[in-house]
Amino acid sequence: MALIEAKSICKSFGDLAVLKNVSLSVGQGEVVCIIGPSGAGKSTFLRTLNHLESITSGQIVIDGQLLDDRADGVNRSPLSKKEESAILLEMGMVFQRFNIFPHKTVLENVMLAPLHVRKMSKEDARARAEDLIGRVGLTDKLGVYPSKLSGGQQQRVAIARALAMEPKIMLFDEPTSALDPELVGEVLAVIKKLASVGMTMLIVTHEIGFARDVADKVVFMYDGTILEEGAPQDIFSNPQNERTRTFLQAVL
Amino acid sequence: MNNLERMAGWIPPLIDASKITLSLSVISVVLGMVAGTFIALGRISANKAVSRACSVYIFIFRGTPLLMQLFFVWYALPLAIPELTIQNRFLAACIAFTINSAAYQAEIIRAAIQSIDSGQMEAAKSLGLTYAQAMRHIIIPQSIKRLIPPVGNEFIMVLKDTSLVSTIALVDLMKRTSQIQSSASTALVYLPSAALYLIFTAVFTYLFSWLEKRHSVYE
Ligand SMILES: Nc1ncnc2c1ncn2[C@@H]1O[C@H](COP(=O)(O)OP(=O)(O)OP(=O)(O)O)[C@@H](O)[C@H]1O
Ligand SMILES: [Mg+2]
Repeated sequence: MALIEAKSICKSFGDLAVLKNVSLSVGQGEVVCIIGPSGAGKSTFLRTLNHLESITSGQIVIDGQLLDDRADGVNRSPLSKKEESAILLEMGMVFQRFNIFPHKTVLENVMLAPLHVRKMSKEDARARAEDLIGRVGLTDKLGVYPSKLSGGQQQRVAIARALAMEPKIMLFDEPTSALDPELVGEVLAVIKKLASVGMTMLIVTHEIGFARDVADKVVFMYDGTILEEGAPQDIFSNPQNERTRTFLQAVL
Repeated sequence: MNNLERMAGWIPPLIDASKITLSLSVISVVLGMVAGTFIALGRISANKAVSRACSVYIFIFRGTPLLMQLFFVWYALPLAIPELTIQNRFLAACIAFTINSAAYQAEIIRAAIQSIDSGQMEAAKSLGLTYAQAMRHIIIPQSIKRLIPPVGNEFIMVLKDTSLVSTIALVDLMKRTSQIQSSASTALVYLPSAALYLIFTAVFTYLFSWLEKRHSVYE
């Protein structure tokens, strides 16, 4: 069964239609990479899934639950506010600009949500945070404030912070675009490790080599629509759409 | 008696009256900050009615003279509503100054909150924090450092504005100064009095910059 099922998503900012009938399905354990030019609506699509933006119309089904069922902006989802919040917790998000909490140490950044949202005990939250920080290779930075970290390290903390809520799905919005080239590798390595343990992921990225490696499916977005989707080797080696071809020529 | 000795003799009564000046300033700024925080949160709230009400509050109390607000609390309010007569001049001054400072501090706090990168709120939401939790644990703590310099400024403005209470016959530093001036028939008293105001502003300026430094640990 698909973990994410987006059906005919439309999203407008005022008169500007940014998503036009976007449908996408992501199965359990699947890694889907979204590529496409600037302004295509990639970030907006990701953000509608976890309700950082509301959709104008369409349906979003997460883990079999109808999270959104909208027409003209009115949500007819049968879920209560509480059920809705619970489903949103199944999605973790990593941002292009990290958005790490600067007034909290690395450990506090990762502990915060389990403490206040999951109401975990301090000891349990701490143990989980230390474990996750170890897994992203930052055990020596536990008590350090983010300003003392490189961009790559901050992004790895952000990944650990999202994972601390034990989401079933991870959304990545250009996780390496704000990084110096020499720091991209360490972040991609962490994401690859997640892929290898079966995490379901939806990744907006311009790293074609990485997408070729890790993606089960690649989606090409253009002007608010999905123009082409398929296995990475098909999309990258034999794109069917003229616009996909032009885009790939520009980024490769 | 030479002039220096005369001035030295005025210092104890001036310091005594300064208690009113200082306590009124501290009380109004502290209470004004508490009220101002709620007004600021109301102002940026998604609830249109709440936001509008808070805007109106800020508009009224920043847009009319503080002296008028003080007179209103002390003279006009009891005429309009006798039950609201305040017997105590100091209490009346505290109310007027708090109401006024709350309006100024609400704008200071709103600006500080809105200066925090919107990505912080998004990250908090994506982790499942409620709006209130995000405000409390993420946004407000980060705005505090940006709040300190303008609140320090506000404090010094209030400290000087407390001299207005001499108009409702509350004996603050300013009132005591003019009393001494008329009884001793000399303007010399303005020297030690001004010196006291300057000492107070200097001390509080130092205190606020110390607070600001202390809040910069994570940068
Ligand atoms: N909050 C907003 N208000 C108005 N317009 C917006 C808003 N957010 C995005 N847009 C517009 O929506 C369109 C799609 O933006 P989006 O950020 O989703 O593109 P993107 O594919 O992620 O691009 P990029 O590669 O530059 O990140 C753009 O034209 C953008 O200007
Ligand atoms: Mg984007």
